[in-house]
Amino acid sequence: MECIITIELGTNAVRVYAFDLNGNILGSLKGYCPTFHSEPDHSEQDPDQIFITMLYVLKNLLNDLVHPKKYKVLSICFSASMHSVLAVDKSGNPMGNAITWADNRANKEAAELKNSSLGKKIYKTTGTPLHPMSPLTKIAWIKNNEKEKFKQVSKFLSLKGYILQQLTGEYMIDYSIASATGLLNIHKIQWEPEALKFAGITSAMLPDLVPVFTSAGKLNKAYQTSLGLSVDTKLLVGSSDGCMAVLGDGINGEGMANITVEDSGAVRVMGDKVLQDDKQRFFNYLLTENRYVSGGPTNNGGIIFEWFTRQFGDFKNPFDIEDSMLELINEASGISAGSDGLIFLPYLLGERAPIWNANARGVYFGINIKHTKAHFLRAVIEGILYEIYSIGKTLQEHRAFKNLSINGSFGTLPFFVQMVADIYNKPVRLRQNYHSVSYGSYLISATEMGIYNSLDEAVKTVVLGDFVTPEKNNHRTYLKYYKIFETLSTKLADEFADIAALQQS
Amino acid sequence: MKQFLLCQKNALELRLFPHITEIGVVKNSAIRLNGFLNIVADGLKIYYVQEGKFEWTINRQPFILYPGDAAIILPGTEFGNENNVLEIGSFSWIHIQVKANEKGQLLKGSWSCLTDGESHAISKILQVNGSTVLQKFTEAGNIFKSIQSELFNQHIGYQARVNHLLDEIFIHMARQFSRISNPGRDFPSTFMKLEYELRRDLSHQWTVEEMATLVGLGTTLFNDKVKSYSGFSPVSYLINIRISEAIKLLKKPDISLTDIALNIGFYSSQHFSTTFKKLTGYTPSQFRKNHLRTK
Repeated sequence: MECIITIELGTNAVRVYAFDLNGNILGSLKGYCPTFHSEPDHSEQDPDQIFITMLYVLKNLLNDLVHPKKYKVLSICFSASMHSVLAVDKSGNPMGNAITWADNRANKEAAELKNSSLGKKIYKTTGTPLHPMSPLTKIAWIKNNEKEKFKQVSKFLSLKGYILQQLTGEYMIDYSIASATGLLNIHKIQWEPEALKFAGITSAMLPDLVPVFTSAGKLNKAYQTSLGLSVDTKLLVGSSDGCMAVLGDGINGEGMANITVEDSGAVRVMGDKVLQDDKQRFFNYLLTENRYVSGGPTNNGGIIFEWFTRQFGDFKNPFDIEDSMLELINEASGISAGSDGLIFLPYLLGERAPIWNANARGVYFGINIKHTKAHFLRAVIEGILYEIYSIGKTLQEHRAFKNLSINGSFGTLPFFVQMVADIYNKPVRLRQNYHSVSYGSYLISATEMGIYNSLDEAVKTVVLGDFVTPEKNNHRTYLKYYKIFETLSTKLADEFADIAALQQS
Repeated sequence: MKQFLLCQKNALELRLFPHITEIGVVKNSAIRLNGFLNIVADGLKIYYVQEGKFEWTINRQPFILYPGDAAIILPGTEFGNENNVLEIGSFSWIHIQVKANEKGQLLKGSWSCLTDGESHAISKILQVNGSTVLQKFTEAGNIFKSIQSELFNQHIGYQARVNHLLDEIFIHMARQFSRISNPGRDFPSTFMKLEYELRRDLSHQWTVEEMATLVGLGTTLFNDKVKSYSGFSPVSYLINIRISEAIKLLKKPDISLTDIALNIGFYSSQHFSTTFKKLTGYTPSQFRKNHLRTK
């Protein structure tokens, strides 16, 4: 028997799945990796710890499941979070930790670039919003603030690039991760000279640019032995978690959109054209030569509901946040749609799409004497979804879609899925499981191996749950409140700036 | 409680307890200037307020204590009233001889019944929190009362009882501190704190019990929580941190394999080498050779 393994290098965990050739899950394991915040704006991960965690989790899955059942591993496909940057010296050794997508140290670099004519040009060619998340601005930050270190840097890698280099000795970056750096011209698929110049680097300081189906090279002998893998096990560079999630949810071309709600969130569509937005609100990442994943990210997804749960949940069992969250969701379902006029802006972490305002903060609006704790709770969930709706709404100015799927654990909760359907007034799929990223990696592997003739054919095999249909009355209610939500989100810009300044001082 | 003061130097009651340097109760009905001096403590001191309101400084930080509050003063910490004033009210205190070893661990001595692991974990918790005030620490008041009556009545078994009661103070302090810092809501941040402590003292031979104590959980629940949150058993997670650290150290040419092994908590370079190879396929020296070569 044969199998395909997928490895997902996420921001807080490494997840390894084993699939049979038909895409059925044989087993999976995860291993936690911490994010360090040495300063409030900083967000870093230890590349060696991620490497060791990946080895450990992979090895356990192989030893517990794959080897005892005599599965032959045909290929291992990688996916990773976008926007990470790791500087390595001329021996390939990391110069400190990797900087993750959540790091905001390059705020100044991003703001300056965004307001310049160079910025507009760079956004047009790279498709990546000018934001401190992008490696473009992070590398510029290192250039401006760590001059000595910058001189010693031989290459700038992504976390996945480092892991692959450790395994095979090759330096590579796939189209998807590359298109999230802000350094890649996504129309020509080559490094963009103006962006490189702003970052202060040459293309020689970046890994080789390759399609997502590319073999990352031969697994080093020692790892073949310790993992018990044969020399013909193929390592595929794979893609980014964002692109894989869309692929794994069966989104292919127009008419469908995908919502991710994890800690943060995103709304994404796929198409064969770049989505050009004069206001620079959307990202465009490359899956293959003619497949662009476009959309907008939010900072304030599930993490905001978690925050509320930690403050106000019951915690009958210590540390059981899932249980407390489910209880709260149950409680929220007792309040009618619209929370009887209580509106919540969820911008506790500042916001990216569509308002792109790092100073935005949370707001309760419209509190009256009849509102109870349960109203405050339901308003939080509605606020998170209004924000997700606002991304989808602006996306629809460019690209129409008829239905939606949700990945992340929230996509399995009927109450939550119904709310999304009602707010969007579109059918939304309710699902049993949520491993879209890994399934996307399986589809890439299976297509590369010729099990499917094309990605199009592969994507058609994705089986998702049934549609939940929207309730018209609820939709009408939500729309009335959404109008106020949308107005407040931009109207409060001056006050957001004032309060953020006070909070930072 | 009545006023009393027993000092190791001259109190017969403390003859069997060389580790108790001082124990007493004061009831003060008028403000006394120069009645409460600023001192640097060499043992561990606990002051428990029964009545009144006291403004004390610990490490030059001001605290206000109300009845039920206790000041926990670690060895070497400055403590007293800023103006040396003894305020109106009543409080009890005990000074216990504890020594800090070269790593800063507080050693209680042979009188204690706590196991080495428990003792180490408690010492960690006290140091993480530093000298400070524990609010509503009424257990301390009750234990002080019991110690006092044991010392004065000297019924059969009082020597063991007093030492047990001292252990109990330490246990209650540790539990109260970990309850405050881990209110049972946010496992990710609790786990981050644990991770931080593990990394800070990686050479220590951590046990699961110690780790569990540090985050204020029983061992079984701790195991379950760590496993479901991180995918690792606590010990595997620790090994992972150790090997990640090893990878960094191996890339520096000037530190020996034995030193690396001991620095990151393996008891021998052999033990280090086996664990490293099991995970990476390379022995540490092979790994080092591969990475010191300039590519």
